[in-house]
Amino acid sequence: MAEPSVVYIHASAALGPNRDYLPAQRVRLSADPAPSDLRELTRRVLGQSLRQASHFVELAAIGARLCLERAGQAPPPATAVYLGTGLAEVRAGEALFKQVLPPGPGLASPFDFINATNNMAAFYVARLAGLVSRNLTLTLEQFSFEAALYLAWQDLRHGAVPAALVGGVDENSFPRANHLRFLSLRDDQVMGEGSAWLYLNGDPDGAIGEVLCVETLKTDGLGGTAWAQALRQFVGAQFTPTAPVSLLPGYGLAPEETEALTRALPGVMLAPYLDYCGCYPTAAAFGVAMQFDVPPAAPQLWLHVNRDRRGQTRLIGVRRPAGC
Amino acid sequence: MCVGGYGLVSCYGTGAQAVVEPLRARRPGSAPLTGLQLPLPEALPVNRMDPQRYPAGMAGTQAAMLAAAHEALTMAGLDRTHALTDCALVLGGTGSLAIAEAEIRRVWERTGVATALPVTSAGAMARQLATTLGLDGPVFCLATACASSANALLVARDLIRRGQARRALVIGAERLSAITLSGFQSLLLLDPAGCRPFDAARRGLQLGEGVGALWLEPVPAGHADSGRRHRFHGGANLCDTHHMTSASPDGGAMARVMQAALTQAGVAAEEIVAIKAHGTGSADNDLAEAAAMKTVFGARVPPFTGLKRGLGHTLAACGAVETVAFLACLDAGFIPPTAGFEAFDPALGVQPLVPAQDAPAGIYLYNFFGFGGNYGTLVIGHG
Repeated sequence: MAEPSVVYIHASAALGPNRDYLPAQRVRLSADPAPSDLRELTRRVLGQSLRQASHFVELAAIGARLCLERAGQAPPPATAVYLGTGLAEVRAGEALFKQVLPPGPGLASPFDFINATNNMAAFYVARLAGLVSRNLTLTLEQFSFEAALYLAWQDLRHGAVPAALVGGVDENSFPRANHLRFLSLRDDQVMGEGSAWLYLNGDPDGAIGEVLCVETLKTDGLGGTAWAQALRQFVGAQFTPTAPVSLLPGYGLAPEETEALTRALPGVMLAPYLDYCGCYPTAAAFGVAMQFDVPPAAPQLWLHVNRDRRGQTRLIGVRRPAGC
Repeated sequence: MCVGGYGLVSCYGTGAQAVVEPLRARRPGSAPLTGLQLPLPEALPVNRMDPQRYPAGMAGTQAAMLAAAHEALTMAGLDRTHALTDCALVLGGTGSLAIAEAEIRRVWERTGVATALPVTSAGAMARQLATTLGLDGPVFCLATACASSANALLVARDLIRRGQARRALVIGAERLSAITLSGFQSLLLLDPAGCRPFDAARRGLQLGEGVGALWLEPVPAGHADSGRRHRFHGGANLCDTHHMTSASPDGGAMARVMQAALTQAGVAAEEIVAIKAHGTGSADNDLAEAAAMKTVFGARVPPFTGLKRGLGHTLAACGAVETVAFLACLDAGFIPPTAGFEAFDPALGVQPLVPAQDAPAGIYLYNFFGFGGNYGTLVIGHG
């Protein structure tokens, strides 16, 4: 196969749990955010209501539209959609369980049933943008966004698709105790939700950044220090940093792992983005996309690091030149 | 790239061979639905795996997945002593919804309490399965409705072609779910008389469960592409943005995905020997698929067949389940006929294959069309 080519970021958008998507709207979360109603924002951003669409679909559709608007031009219809989600339709799924299962077995609401089809959000994203190409929804726990970005990155590098819209979308549910059935959080972790997207293609003109890597490291069984050293080795071999490196710690990292990593990577700056979006399986998308909110004064290189209970580590590396 | 092995657990039993004679004879593998207190039509036909061997719930589902996987690996000449280093696992459907239902139902029956239980995600099941099977390459899990496991095959193919995995196991699993049955009933999409693909009197779907597994690998050096190895020429996935649950009525989007698959595979339409149609038996879907086949193939639509009366519509798993069933029939020397079809529909202008016909060597097309306009077409050789 032909030598893979470079993948450029042309636009990004990160919609957070308080309906925030602009730098001035970002709020540092000190507690679980209140349930958000997206109907008004849907009308404002999309110019229409999505009748019968779920909260999850609205999240996805708004985030994707914001991203494409920032790209400044309509994407070609052959743009592929890759949506990563760890939990997908939590609320519609919950409603279906109540409707159908004991004690009150009844028929499912048709709209809850349709919405609970896990690829419905990606369908809406494609439909609203007129995209008729490859359309994939992927789920892989807290690496769901990494899985989606990896496939998009590889498809673009190998010329399988001309452009890609890649997102990470998850919704929360209430009360917290109920939501903890779906994901494990420490008491000190705020539960969040979000919809964050990158618009990618192979054209350097007008790009605001570049995807450098989406990697999986087998680090099973490695303790904090040994694990951090393994990452340091990988980063050293992979990058010749030409810009300051910022670390985006994913929600799977324990505080001591983040600390070990900052010790192992001299000069690295910490960018704790979870303070703004809370914890959810695809928060990595928010972490990466949010970095493009404001053009940096100097070139920047961001490294998102996440780890799961099995010990596997996933890295995303992105670079942004100065002023873009 | 080829399918080096395949395995199946279906309503006909364990093993791909179990489907061959029933499908040849157009013998439905369905039975009336029992055990779920739901407001559904009486004696609704469904296709279930052996409930003794593969009970509803996590253990039974995992057992079915492992049975299909081991059959595929064995056919590929890999026993449990072989290291599966750098081999990928790509899942299209896990049955996780039905697993959660089974747990809730079990607690309800024992205690009379409707319990909220921890939910096992499809992603977690995929990664657990990879560990159990010793597959230490990339793991992916596709959630694209009824095209899930067809898309899983396309993703696995790309991983191998690009050197990201040496070989790959693709699994599609689906369990019968009360929520799914109820949802399709709410949409008036279940046919109480069973699935009748492309039939003039067709009224809808017949749901089923099953697990299919396919082992993808490069064609081994020095081996002819023959025997039980099926060359995987390519395929495509596209999105029909017409409607959430129904196809573009003119079949335009379905035609585009078939054409894209042929183009990607470097195969001309005239080279296609036969088509494994999606053939849900719903009025609109079959109409659109028939129109699409006429668009792509003109007046000479190859023989096509629908398998959902025999196997049930296994939803996310159908890409794996029906591909394996079709390959097993080809390897037995015939193209399977369409069970459930009786009467020609003039609105379609084409009719599916009845009875079985000899399967010549050549290239076959496989269609899978899902909710959310998610369409996948595969191009796979035989002999």
